[in-house]
Amino acid sequence: MITWFRRVWYLINRSRYERELVREMSEHRESMHDPTEFGDTYRLLERSRDAWGWNWLDDAMQDLTVGVRTLIKSPSFAITATLILTFGIGLNLTLFQLIRVGMLRPPALHDVDSWVRFLRAEPQGTSSTVAYPLTQFVKEHSDGVLASVVLEYQSGIAWGRDAEEQVNALFVSSNWFEEVGYGAAHGRVLSEALDGRADAPVVVLSYAFWRNRLGSDPSVVGRIAYIDRQPVTIAGVAAAALPGLDFNVPDMFLPMLQREYFYPQSTLLRSWSDEAVDMYGRLAPGVSSAAAREALRTIIQAAAAEHAEVKKDEWLEPLLASHNFMRDSERQAVLAVISLLGALTTLVLVVAAANLGNLVMSRATGRVRELGVRMALGARRERIVRQLVIESVPLVAMGALGSLGFAWAAATVIAALGGFPPYMDFSIRWGTVMVAVTLALLSLVVVGLLPAWKIAQQHLIDAVKDGGQNVSRTLDRTLMRRVMVVSQVAGSCLLLIIAGMMIRSVQRAIASSAGFDYEQAAVLSMPLGRYGMPVDARRSYWYQVKERILANPAVESAAIVTAAPLGGRVNETNYNATPGLRTLTQSVDPEYFATMQIPLVSGRLFTANDPDAVIVSRRLALEMYGTLDVLGREFPKSAKEATIIGVAADAHSIKVDANDVAELYRPLKVEDFSYVELVVRARTDADRLLPILREAAMMDPRVIPATRAMHEDFDKHMQGPRMASGLSAAIGLLTLALACLGIFGVVSYGVALRTKEIGIRVALGAQQPALLRAIVRQVLTPVFVGVVIGIILAIPAGMVLQSEPFYLENADPIAFAAALAVFGTAGAVAALWPAFQVLRSNPVDALRHS
Amino acid sequence: MPKSNGLPPGTLILLILRVVRPGPLHGYAIAQRIRALSSDQLSVEEGSLYPALQKGLANGWMKAEWTTSDTGRQVRSYRITAKGLKQLETEQVDYQRMADAIAAILESP
Repeated sequence: MITWFRRVWYLINRSRYERELVREMSEHRESMHDPTEFGDTYRLLERSRDAWGWNWLDDAMQDLTVGVRTLIKSPSFAITATLILTFGIGLNLTLFQLIRVGMLRPPALHDVDSWVRFLRAEPQGTSSTVAYPLTQFVKEHSDGVLASVVLEYQSGIAWGRDAEEQVNALFVSSNWFEEVGYGAAHGRVLSEALDGRADAPVVVLSYAFWRNRLGSDPSVVGRIAYIDRQPVTIAGVAAAALPGLDFNVPDMFLPMLQREYFYPQSTLLRSWSDEAVDMYGRLAPGVSSAAAREALRTIIQAAAAEHAEVKKDEWLEPLLASHNFMRDSERQAVLAVISLLGALTTLVLVVAAANLGNLVMSRATGRVRELGVRMALGARRERIVRQLVIESVPLVAMGALGSLGFAWAAATVIAALGGFPPYMDFSIRWGTVMVAVTLALLSLVVVGLLPAWKIAQQHLIDAVKDGGQNVSRTLDRTLMRRVMVVSQVAGSCLLLIIAGMMIRSVQRAIASSAGFDYEQAAVLSMPLGRYGMPVDARRSYWYQVKERILANPAVESAAIVTAAPLGGRVNETNYNATPGLRTLTQSVDPEYFATMQIPLVSGRLFTANDPDAVIVSRRLALEMYGTLDVLGREFPKSAKEATIIGVAADAHSIKVDANDVAELYRPLKVEDFSYVELVVRARTDADRLLPILREAAMMDPRVIPATRAMHEDFDKHMQGPRMASGLSAAIGLLTLALACLGIFGVVSYGVALRTKEIGIRVALGAQQPALLRAIVRQVLTPVFVGVVIGIILAIPAGMVLQSEPFYLENADPIAFAAALAVFGTAGAVAALWPAFQVLRSNPVDALRHS
Repeated sequence: MPKSNGLPPGTLILLILRVVRPGPLHGYAIAQRIRALSSDQLSVEEGSLYPALQKGLANGWMKAEWTTSDTGRQVRSYRITAKGLKQLETEQVDYQRMADAIAAILESP
């Protein structure tokens, strides 16, 4: 260790040490009788350096200088190579950044390991929300099991004195901020002590809302704001870094206990049947999630004994924060997606590195003569390999630097386009740099080491005699070169097919195979419960509004529904009889099916007196019963809750782009009228309906209606998939360009080497087609093998892409065909271009020159 | 290529360590001392001396510092370190063993 340190010290102070040595030697020389006997000081100096063991570094620095100089001399190669690596490594880094920040890291909560989310579970399945009184019952009886219970309920509200703007609010339990562990940027956050009462209404704004809508004005704290026309005091602004429990950060936070201040008739806090709130909690120290599940089971049974709405076999299923509050199946899906994306970006890197490796090899074959001279002068093979590898280092280093910039820019753009919450920080960290360095070193193996090793294996000394022709030709035919072409072709072919699948699936969704017609529909929502209207009055108000709207000649039909397509709040159930299928329940008017143009496959619609009837979708019938002949059967299969009276066609109206969902329709109940919406179908144009709906809704001037045309919601829904398919198409095309560049390079290099041979053939009367075949044959086999490998790999990739969150159609023949056509055309151009070039330039001339 | 001084490889540093053991010497003096002690049988070429001295420094067997010689010149004196003493001892033992072995073979009937 000390010796090592001494050597490093020497290296740092080398020039001083060497000056001293020179001085010492000249003193020595002067003391001698015959100073000429001393020998050459500088040669001695060089040999003395050996003792310190830094010669390899000097050689490396020399090779590096040579490498840099070569790059400066051929800037177009340097730029191309840097861009290729920037793209190849950068894409992987971008994915790493997205995963690091958004997916695999649990939300940054205080004491995150103790956090759990509770699902309400029963033998038939689970649902995501829990009735508020039940959460309070659990909270009171769970000493020693839970350290705290945290609740939230998301809701759209009107902001401004005249309720001019719709914003996204989160009603939270008063301990929310304290448990999550974040304070205020200005003013204060909600607290148990100050906001545990229902009579002092306050709101806490999110940082982004305060910055974007209120111009970062700190004096808003303490002012009065209007929420659904009710005055509330702005208590403060939450910290910018505040994470959401559920990925989203809302515009503002309101205390859940004050809900009745805004909506005096709200049953949310009192109803045992209204499964409304998202329930989170923190486990008491030392309690495992399994232990908590069992302890809570007893508590739920006690609640069931007192309240008929709670079932005896119900339990609360805990999901860990360290699993991002995901069910195991969801986690596996996310991990599968991450692995798939990782595999794809790795593939891009393989293509990029193979491409560059081939380029480097072609360039180096031009230098075999120089290398032969070096070997003839006594350089060993290792030395040649080292030289060639080190010469590639500046290339790879520039690529790594470029990729860091690429990753930063790409993640920022994706975060901005995807509307990621502000607490997600995509800045480059040490981890990212380490990944970049690792990937750069791996690429160096392909870009530098493999070609160098292959070149050094040749009889380089012979190259001195014939100008390197033989060696160049051998190198041109090496297996490695063909393997590099194969991997480029296979990689880009696979990426193209996947891009094709993604584009096709977006097209399919847009082409309204979603199973309902959104283009002429508009939605009206008016939270009547908020205006103190009793439940019965709400129902009659809704029907009156519906009548008024139907009276308008622009309206074709209208229906009341608990969750309008493309944006409603809906209960999700996983029935045990249909594992892997999410059932989304809507309560609807009989007119709903006509309004949304969803055909009834069999059976009948709801009548006025059908409380226990359900209509199932085709898919639900098939997956739960294995047949469409389900009229009159019990639903769900294992319990007698309702009777099936009809089967409707599939209509993924809530989750348009999902393929693991099915729909269940129930008739409207009186309670539903606190949160229903009206969907209206226009005779011509949905946008013209909006003022009509608004006008009709304001029969009672207190009501604040919200209206929207459904095609806007659809565009919003499709933004993500559209972006993803656009990105994948861009990546696919770039990779295609790389592969074509690779094919082009290989063919044109082969042609250049064989110009003389081609000239002889032309002189002997060979025909053009035969010559073209002979030239292109070199890449034909590797390209063919690559395409086959690409197609074979595309099949399992497509199977993974079928599931969440891509929902692609597997083995989509059009995607395959389109990808192959694009690849075939581009590849043929890349291969034939240089061949035509050489034939057009009259290769016979080449014979005369030599 | 350095001229051969007839020394088996690796022995030069052994000789150098041995001659600086009694007290610090500069490069020229080390060469002189080796020649004198060997009764002019061994002459150390400068071409070998300085690389060997650097090796001694690099391994921490010796330390060098600038001093003024008897003749008033500025010279760099090499002084053996504790580590160098240990090294000298091992090398001396190794060398002795080797020499004995060679001698045993040569003197065999």
